[in-house]
Amino acid sequence: MNKQSEPVGIIIDNRQLQAASGMTILQAAEKNNIYIPTLCAHKDLTPFGGCRMCIVEVEGMRGFPTACTTPIQEGMIVRTQTTQVNSVRAEILQLILSEHPVSCLICDEAEECKKYNVTTRKVGVTTGCRYCPNDSQCELHDVAEKLGIKEIGYPILYRNLRVEKEDPFFDRDYNLCILCGRCVRMCQEIRTAGTLAFKKRGHQTIIGPAYDRTHLEAGCEFCGACVSVCPTGALSEKTRKWEGKADREEVTTCAFCGIGCQIRLQIRGDEIIGSLPADDPLVNNGQLCVKGRFCVTETVNDYRRLKRPYKTVGITRVDIPFNEAIDIAAQKLAECFPDDFGMIVSPNCTNEDLYIAQKFTRAAIGSNNIDTSTRIFYGQSINSYLNLTKMSVPLSTLRKSSVILCVGLDTRFARSVAGVELRIATRRGAKLITINSHEHNLSLIAEKKLYPAPDNMLEILNSIENLTKLNSNNNDKGELSIVATMLKGAKFPVILVGPDLLSLPDSPAILDCIARITRNIEGGILPLPSHNNFIGSIFMGAYPEALPGGIRYDSDINIQKIKELWNRDSLDYDGHWNSLSNGADPKKKVIYLIGEAPYAQRPSCDYMIYQNIYHPPSSYSANLVFPTTAFTENEGSFINGEGRIQKVRKGVKPPGEARPDWDILCQIARKLGKTGFDYSSVDDIRKEIANFVDGFGDAEFGNRALVPLIFDIDMNIPTTRPLNISSADFPFKLDLSIIEHSYRGYPLTNWVSGLKSLYIEGQLDINHEDAKIIGISTGDKVMVTSLNFEKTWPVKINERQPQGKVSVTVPMSEFPGFIPKQVNVRKNDV
Amino acid sequence: MNTEITRAGSSLNQEEHQSFHDLFEAYNGHEGDLVPLLQKTQEKYGYLSQEAINEISRFLKISENQIFGVATFYSQFRFNAPGRHSIKVCLGTACHVRGGQVLGEAVGRELDVLPGETTDDKRFDFQRVACLGCCALAPVIQIDSDIHSRMSVIRLKGILEKYE
Ligand code: SF4
Ligand code: SF4
Ligand code: SF4
Ligand code: FES
Ligand code: FES
Repeated sequence: MNKQSEPVGIIIDNRQLQAASGMTILQAAEKNNIYIPTLCAHKDLTPFGGCRMCIVEVEGMRGFPTACTTPIQEGMIVRTQTTQVNSVRAEILQLILSEHPVSCLICDEAEECKKYNVTTRKVGVTTGCRYCPNDSQCELHDVAEKLGIKEIGYPILYRNLRVEKEDPFFDRDYNLCILCGRCVRMCQEIRTAGTLAFKKRGHQTIIGPAYDRTHLEAGCEFCGACVSVCPTGALSEKTRKWEGKADREEVTTCAFCGIGCQIRLQIRGDEIIGSLPADDPLVNNGQLCVKGRFCVTETVNDYRRLKRPYKTVGITRVDIPFNEAIDIAAQKLAECFPDDFGMIVSPNCTNEDLYIAQKFTRAAIGSNNIDTSTRIFYGQSINSYLNLTKMSVPLSTLRKSSVILCVGLDTRFARSVAGVELRIATRRGAKLITINSHEHNLSLIAEKKLYPAPDNMLEILNSIENLTKLNSNNNDKGELSIVATMLKGAKFPVILVGPDLLSLPDSPAILDCIARITRNIEGGILPLPSHNNFIGSIFMGAYPEALPGGIRYDSDINIQKIKELWNRDSLDYDGHWNSLSNGADPKKKVIYLIGEAPYAQRPSCDYMIYQNIYHPPSSYSANLVFPTTAFTENEGSFINGEGRIQKVRKGVKPPGEARPDWDILCQIARKLGKTGFDYSSVDDIRKEIANFVDGFGDAEFGNRALVPLIFDIDMNIPTTRPLNISSADFPFKLDLSIIEHSYRGYPLTNWVSGLKSLYIEGQLDINHEDAKIIGISTGDKVMVTSLNFEKTWPVKINERQPQGKVSVTVPMSEFPGFIPKQVNVRKNDV
Repeated sequence: MNTEITRAGSSLNQEEHQSFHDLFEAYNGHEGDLVPLLQKTQEKYGYLSQEAINEISRFLKISENQIFGVATFYSQFRFNAPGRHSIKVCLGTACHVRGGQVLGEAVGRELDVLPGETTDDKRFDFQRVACLGCCALAPVIQIDSDIHSRMSVIRLKGILEKYE
């Protein structure tokens, strides 16, 4: 951006220095390891000049300029530590501290106290004076110590503001706030969310959203960026209070969606105590969404984690040693015919785990019955969706695109990282078009907003498709023509596809139409899959229809390659197993679940092996249970939605006896006497994958993009097709939206309580007139039925809900797979 | 999506909406238009309602929070519909030393209203101001255009009763 900057010669504290022109005195000093105290300055934020802590003396300039806002000039002579400067700084700091509860900063016993104020009791007891949850990370401490402040020469003023705890994830105690404005600049400039602002002025100045709104009401995305930059304890993460500082970090890939943000796991001892964004310019650029920022810790540390293997005898659970569990599994599997076996593996697993899962099924058992739970999520749209992913472009394309179209997308919570890129793009001048049946957070920045009813979505997109055709003559001035003209004339047009489309009854046709529009306008797609390693699961061949490399199950080349590599004589797969063909399929002998599978996809079986980081749901009879690792305890890789291979690095040891998925499977295979399962590390597995998939070859393979995504498979559509019925028996239109938070088959709300306040899920909204006719009131349970469909939800009467329509939001792990258009609603009397 | 926690939709009807848009016509939606727009809005409606801030937010594509922050920085903006009468309690230096603060608190208690707000029955709006320019008569309150000088808490109730 800057033009080639010439070095400038300056003198700081008698040292002759060279620094790039355009730098501030502060930047030049920091670059040369000269300490200048600061409070409001932050490397990622524009200079503010608010705290005046960084004042210096500059020869020839009057007064004390602030180093963070003063650019360097040739020949400048700066002094940072004169007696006068330091005494003014001390005065200013005392003034700041006079409005900040400070006993911990100036207490005579502070040094002694530090030794004793962490106890070793089981519960989080703290001793000593603790006013602030930011212990030992407070930047005020550091500065006060450096300036040698021992007492405050000003009357103490406590603002006595109420501590704000009503929002999830972080608390706000503005009594501790020094008005440095870091959080405001972060939220407005970098995050571009605009939730925080300075309100009022003078002594009354306070930080927060408009009026007295909570953050939830004010549009906060709970990205935590403000919390990360706050130098004091004013903003503090609820689950991290009193945890202190991390003693190390590990950079890894978030497993909660297909964007694949790079996160820095915060580790203390052997525990993950937090997760912060990493500055990866290729993906998330220092941003995270609420899931990556605030949900990792609680998800992987939950006390309900599985820690040792067990078997069930009758209805009791019997803990057994790991070896014994391996023996039992091997014995059961030895008795099982290949066709009597089925495995469903979570698309949240690493590539290496997925590869071994399918190799285990194919080479150790000799079956082709391997599937993932994405089949039920994408349902009839799976092929259309996969076709879209072949047109994937990197998220960074948004930085050069001139027109962006978002269909069925809301980026407030899930995928807010993409939302930041969209806002930055519109600031730069890109035009945003949104098509959504619901109100959504992008409407504020959109140039054109279309709100078709769910039933009209296809029609609208079809019209746009026709209008974007090369030779369409486009004289009329309707909204759709304007949209089409914008798209046609665009540079690097990008279409973002949100999850709302998947819950529409005609979603395959809608997705196909989007693909044609993309071709018409020569654009790219950002499909943003909900399951973080969906693309990986295709390339690893974790489906009956796909072999490693993302190639058809019956493709000769690959069968040949596999035979050689796996040292097998024959590999003939005739049938396609479809894990959703439950009723049609004969009962299986052994089902192996890796991760929880949705109810509709749990095939009936005689014996179930269950491998996950959490216990199986209680209602659910697993015969043998293996504890496995969460992504924070595992090594390997994911492939994100845009086809980037990303590294997964181990942060901490797994709890108890938990082992990685691949390792458990290999142990069982070896017990079965199968060869080709003695890998000494994930690296060995990676090398084997390299035979099938480009980019897995070298050890530093992370962040290589497989663009464009090339794979060739044709998935079977689930047998339970939606039936378009509209009889008097099913008088209501159903509008179902999906909330995307799940990991290894469980909704994150199971472990992360704060997430529950962001969404109201599993509640059926109905119009008051309709409710009267059915005879139900808010809170009643209702049964929603259609052909092949039955669900029970509590009901809420909502005046804004149109008559004849009901709507409900469900977490993606409970997504029923297909959605009937018309349903009946009646009171559940049980 | 939980629609109850996103105050995204506008609650205005077509006519009210149009009335705002007539106002916006002279502007082209740049960030720099914010303060002039706030002034125009207050001129037309007498105060900045939540709906007004929502409309301006959509027009300028800036969040309501940021707009509110800017608006509260300037003392000229009001966020409540004016009452039938308006009380200004002086907190300038002279009035302050003679008990202006106590008077202000008494007004708040008597009418159950916070500074900057309007009573529920819309009878009074209540402002605290700096120096009404008659320091010699401190402490002073102003109701509509009447100046009440040498005020005391005891006299307050009687005076308020005169304004319906
Ligand atoms: S969490 Fe994110 S969106 Fe919310 S106030 Fe902080 S920076 Fe802004
Ligand atoms: S809340 Fe923290 S970051 Fe924000 S102004 Fe106050 S001290 Fe600074
Ligand atoms: S956007 Fe996706 S990858 Fe990024 S932090 Fe959120 S869930 Fe994780
Ligand atoms: S750091 Fe320079 S003024 Fe705050
Ligand atoms: S101080 Fe109250 S009128 Fe001047």
